Amino acid sequence: MNFLAQTTSTTTTTTGVTFPTLVLTAMVWSAVVFALAALLMPNQTQDQLRRIKSLGSTGAGAALFFAIWAVETQVSDAAGGTGGIPGGDLVEQHSWLSSFPIASSYHLDADGVALSVILVVSVVFFCAALAAWRNQRHVKLLTVCLLTLETASLGILVSYDWVLFLLFWTLAIVPVYVLARAFGPGHGTRVATRYAATSLVSAGLLLLAAVLIAFQAGAHSFDMGVTPVSLPGDGETVAFWLITAASLLAMAVVPLHGALLDLEEDSTGVLSAIFAAVLPSLGAYTLVHVAVGFFPTTSGSFSLFFAVLAVVTVVWGGLAALRTDDLRRLIGHVGTVFMGLVLLGVAGHTSIAITGIMFLLLARGLVIGVLMLLASLIQERTRRVRISQLGGLAWQAPFLSAFWLLATLAAAGVPLLAGFAGDFFIFTGSFPAHRWASTVVLAGTLLASGVLVWTAQRVFLGASRDTFERARDLGPLELTYIGILVGLIVLIGVVPGHFAELFQNGAGYILFPGVA
Amino acid sequence: MPAPNGMAVFATMLPTTLLVALAAVGGLLGWLRPGLPPSFHRWLGALALVGAAAAALVVLRGVALANGVGLAAYAGGVVADRFSTFAVLLLCGTGLLAILTSGAAEERLGPRLPAYHALILTATAGGAILAVQVEMGMLVVGLGIVVISLVGIVAMEKTAEAPGVAAFRSLVSAGVALALMLYGLAIVYGATGSTDLAAVRGQFLHSAPLEGLGLALTLLGLAYLVGAPPLHHWMLQVASASSGAVAGAVVSIAVAAGGIALVRVMVSGFSATMHPWVVVAGVLGAVACLYPALLSLVAGSVRRLIGFGACLQGGLVLSALVGSGRGGGLKPAGGVIALLFGLVVFVLAIQASFQAVARLEEDGIGGGLAGVRGLARRSPMAAVLLSLGLAGLAGLPPLAGFLVRILVASSAVAGGYAWVAVAGVAASAIYAVAVLRWIGAAYVEDDELPVVPHRTPRLASVVGLACALFGVVAMLLAGPLLYAADGAASVLR
Repeated sequence: MNFLAQTTSTTTTTTGVTFPTLVLTAMVWSAVVFALAALLMPNQTQDQLRRIKSLGSTGAGAALFFAIWAVETQVSDAAGGTGGIPGGDLVEQHSWLSSFPIASSYHLDADGVALSVILVVSVVFFCAALAAWRNQRHVKLLTVCLLTLETASLGILVSYDWVLFLLFWTLAIVPVYVLARAFGPGHGTRVATRYAATSLVSAGLLLLAAVLIAFQAGAHSFDMGVTPVSLPGDGETVAFWLITAASLLAMAVVPLHGALLDLEEDSTGVLSAIFAAVLPSLGAYTLVHVAVGFFPTTSGSFSLFFAVLAVVTVVWGGLAALRTDDLRRLIGHVGTVFMGLVLLGVAGHTSIAITGIMFLLLARGLVIGVLMLLASLIQERTRRVRISQLGGLAWQAPFLSAFWLLATLAAAGVPLLAGFAGDFFIFTGSFPAHRWASTVVLAGTLLASGVLVWTAQRVFLGASRDTFERARDLGPLELTYIGILVGLIVLIGVVPGHFAELFQNGAGYILFPGVA
Repeated sequence: MPAPNGMAVFATMLPTTLLVALAAVGGLLGWLRPGLPPSFHRWLGALALVGAAAAALVVLRGVALANGVGLAAYAGGVVADRFSTFAVLLLCGTGLLAILTSGAAEERLGPRLPAYHALILTATAGGAILAVQVEMGMLVVGLGIVVISLVGIVAMEKTAEAPGVAAFRSLVSAGVALALMLYGLAIVYGATGSTDLAAVRGQFLHSAPLEGLGLALTLLGLAYLVGAPPLHHWMLQVASASSGAVAGAVVSIAVAAGGIALVRVMVSGFSATMHPWVVVAGVLGAVACLYPALLSLVAGSVRRLIGFGACLQGGLVLSALVGSGRGGGLKPAGGVIALLFGLVVFVLAIQASFQAVARLEEDGIGGGLAGVRGLARRSPMAAVLLSLGLAGLAGLPPLAGFLVRILVASSAVAGGYAWVAVAGVAASAIYAVAVLRWIGAAYVEDDELPVVPHRTPRLASVVGLACALFGVVAMLLAGPLLYAADGAASVLR
């Protein structure tokens, strides 16, 4: 038996030596390697704590480096039609569990949807690792859990085998739970447990779907590379709904949003940014890549369900954002509205709409990440979480205010910022199929954007308050990580074409896998 | 399986004979020379188990040279084949872990330590008989040896009241289990006229309710060892009352021996084609998964939590059994492979968890939620052991218990019992929630209690940590382990 039967793509050097491409492996595992190193480090003195933080930043930086490498490789291949679809330069496959009747392999690959989320995840984690330099509580725990969560998140995005996919999906639950308990307030246990229970339910649903697909598809394999999947009888519908339910739980769409919103509200800034920017995106990726990608016909036949759910989610999210007085919860609601847009894109079921989802996921992660980090900086400076207690901060913190406003405009879908392309493509792609739903969702999105602008006015404008006289503006470290995120928001807004072909190829593969 | 009878008898019974002989030597030396140091008995026991494992490998070589299938002795009542080799290796490994970690219970066992080691060897020998038997008489003998040895091990800690009560309850449960199994076997014998399991299979009538009842009673009796309801209380009692090392030894040997007996009797003997027992196993497996998982949410001590976890593993063993027949396309459903791989993983997770309990005891830390709070700061090694052990029992990644759950669910679905898979997955998720609560408390709820000095024997600590880390290694080396399990399972088809 050959345990390492290899079907990995290879790279040939100038010396003629070939070696397997390991970009995705390096990207996924680099963070956890640094986590293990941090775990073994002593954490008694300030110097030792600084070393642990350095390991955290370096680990996240290494993952970001390989993520950019992977994305750019695919961007350059996109013009030739191979970038953004599986089976390209990045594929890695090694036999793993060949002795079991349903075989499994170490199969990594990435399509357009995955690459858009990979970029967001790696950038947000890197910025979070930089932001965590100011943290003094549970330093080792925070570093190890963040890096483990990054490995799990990236692993979900590149797994092309059900066993691996489920492994990473479930692995992500543990660090989120521990972090939520460590950094949550008094009732952190309840919030963390609720989220863990929700996530474990979604993992269980995915496991059942995986087993059903592996068994009924007839291939006797857990490999996810063969799409679309054709199952006999009602198997296809059952598997589709199992995956969809798991994805919707992770995306935190209405009415399944409570656990994640509580988690975002109760965590510290760095964690809120990761929880809000990364976790729902993983659910959206699963919905688009797995549920729609495996069952394009079945998902198309249920497009009305997604349209209705999109309307409910966006309207509820917009109204809840209008009503809330908590800054972080407001951003959470705006994140929910974005997820409603993803649902509308799925309901549209066209290449344009799916392309829009990829742009939206890219923009959403960056925008929500910036807003959450800024919200935590505001809270840190003012010791206030209520919007009604804030005001006039623009005089003390002009950079902070400017960045908030820019992120707000990006969330509203203003041209030349990252949010525009996603909104534009999703509405263009969905309008012909669901006119009323698209119109209502557009109204809901405008409502959420309006709330964000109104919030900016209430928090930053108005007369300068004596209470916040000593609130300082962003320091060099904060300018660095916020600047990276905002820079990307502007860059993607100015040159969306850089990713256009990549995402179009990915969308084509998801809806018409046989053709692509 | 033609082979000279003398050679076959020697081959099939060699590991058992070696274990019983060295158990007798160790017990006698402990009685006649009480001054011998505990380490002597420990290494003697380890030597016996390593010798038995080596003997099993030699026998496997002999089987390969003889006919490649197996050697039968005692008129076909026992066979030595690849399955028995796998089983004996697993049992010897389990026994070895129990022996090497006995240092943590040395104080409580006192002068009874040699007898404790001897009983571990006899329990392993009983398990080895269960691995080679294919006949009702040998089954009863093997099960009897295992059960009596395990009850004896629990009773060794008679200095405290709780272990004594646990031993008594274990004895009562064991008596009921043996009685159920004997009634079941008697009914099957009465209906078919044979004690040979292969012959029974040939004469089995699907429509006969009496035979179905016999199979169900046999299964219920055997399920006692893996802690499945309704005879699961003994396992919870042992987990709660005995010291960590003793509870780890008893529960892990019981699960290993029980799993092996279930495979040999139900799969190799009765086979999955005899539908009634598979349905009973499915129902029993689903209940055995869900019941302890739900109770674990209100577990008040880490010992109870681990006890529920051990019962859950038993439920997964039964769930894997329902996938022991043919799946789609006439390929094997893979239940036996999943079960054998699972047994390796379960034994190590149980040992790791109870070693964490032993460590908490030695370090004077309570086993309640209050005692576990802030454990990572007060006793980092205990926290690592506890979290890895519990995560292993819950099947949280990156530990191999996670993979076992996927394999068990796959085989149950392939065998046509999707509802058993749903129950197993749901129970695992529920138990994971309970476990996360305790792991979270150990790492994040820091209080101002002082750092605890480390008092656990070095060998027990190292073995406990190795068991915990093996969960990760088994995930990486799942390919070779499944290959070995597949080899063992192939002779049962």
